[in-house]
Amino acid sequence: MCGLAHFFESEGLSTVLVGFVREHLEAMRPPRSLFLDFPMGRGMGKPNNPRFQKKVIRAAFELLDKNGGPVIDDFPEIIPVRAGRMGYALPPELVLSVDDVSNLDVVLAEVRSEMEALRPDYDVAVAARGRTTVGASGLAVEELAPFVAGFLGGEIPQSPRKGMAAIPLLKLVVEDLEAYYTETRTHRDRIDDLELMGEWFWEESKVGRLLLLLEAVSVASDNKVMLQIVEMSLMAPRFWSEGPLPGTSAAGW
Amino acid sequence: MTKISEMPAVARHFISNLDLTVTSHPSWTEPVPANERRVSIVSTAAVSRRGDKPFSWLAKDSRTFHKTDRDLVMTHVAVEFDRSAWQQDLNTIIPLDRLEEMAADSEIDSVAEEHYSFMGAADPVTMEKSARAVAANMKREGVNTVFLIPI
Repeated sequence: MCGLAHFFESEGLSTVLVGFVREHLEAMRPPRSLFLDFPMGRGMGKPNNPRFQKKVIRAAFELLDKNGGPVIDDFPEIIPVRAGRMGYALPPELVLSVDDVSNLDVVLAEVRSEMEALRPDYDVAVAARGRTTVGASGLAVEELAPFVAGFLGGEIPQSPRKGMAAIPLLKLVVEDLEAYYTETRTHRDRIDDLELMGEWFWEESKVGRLLLLLEAVSVASDNKVMLQIVEMSLMAPRFWSEGPLPGTSAAGW
Repeated sequence: MTKISEMPAVARHFISNLDLTVTSHPSWTEPVPANERRVSIVSTAAVSRRGDKPFSWLAKDSRTFHKTDRDLVMTHVAVEFDRSAWQQDLNTIIPLDRLEEMAADSEIDSVAEEHYSFMGAADPVTMEKSARAVAANMKREGVNTVFLIPI
């Protein structure tokens, strides 16, 4: 982000940025930056809180009124994070193995049933918000879990999406599944709590178990890209965990 | 304040070892007064309009969306940041509605027609060509102020 600021400034455009890691702002010294002590993914702080969002913007834009620079300012309000982690993390001990992959038909049936039960509330959420973020993969909601299950036999299935290989598509399918669940719960239960949403989706839901089985298969996979996905925590949220996924070195990081 | 040294092990190791681009001669453009600011947002959230080409994992290119676009999807490769906030309210990461309100209240001049997104996981050095093309577009529509928002 700081590098982009340099390019735009050199083109005659004034920039102001917000950032979550103060040490990086201090090291890279963009012309004007506002440090936010917020969880990552919440640049304007709080969803559906126009007043708070505008406070962040105004604090950032005030830096455009200062003479000279570089200038770093701290936004005065904090949105606390848990134990230094700026996003949800799976408990390190919650790990499945390929031995847990059995009765795949039953697992898939349970996920389908779970997703069908959520559907009315998901539809209400979409109607209320006038938008959904589900759909990055381009697959229909009903196709998401079966596509994931297709990997659990240890083979890489064919991609149903023209122009996109199966593994990059898998990443987007996982995104869509999580979005389907969390969009539903955040609206239905009026919850805005990233830790609670992470716990529910990854630790308690049937689809979370399906994805942890996928992770287990990936760790044991001969496919380098599948292994890289788990090594780099690109699918299951282990980036903020206290240690790497067992069976991996986190060397990708 | 969340310090790098206090982060959990995997994140601490990764973030503290990032190869930061430090510019020896940083560029500087004098800002215009608030009531002359025409603002465009640049996000590194790898969002795009539904149906646009998804971002690749280390994409150097950008996507453009209009100030009235709300049907956006995210194809960011990393999972370390919270998605639930932007799912609830786009303004949490791309505050188009807030900027429009500020323009209506004359806190700024106007909101640009076009806004831009990059893949935050990629090295910004590789984005220079795309960033300069974005800057050219911005200047064509009279933008003078860029609001950079990471994910």
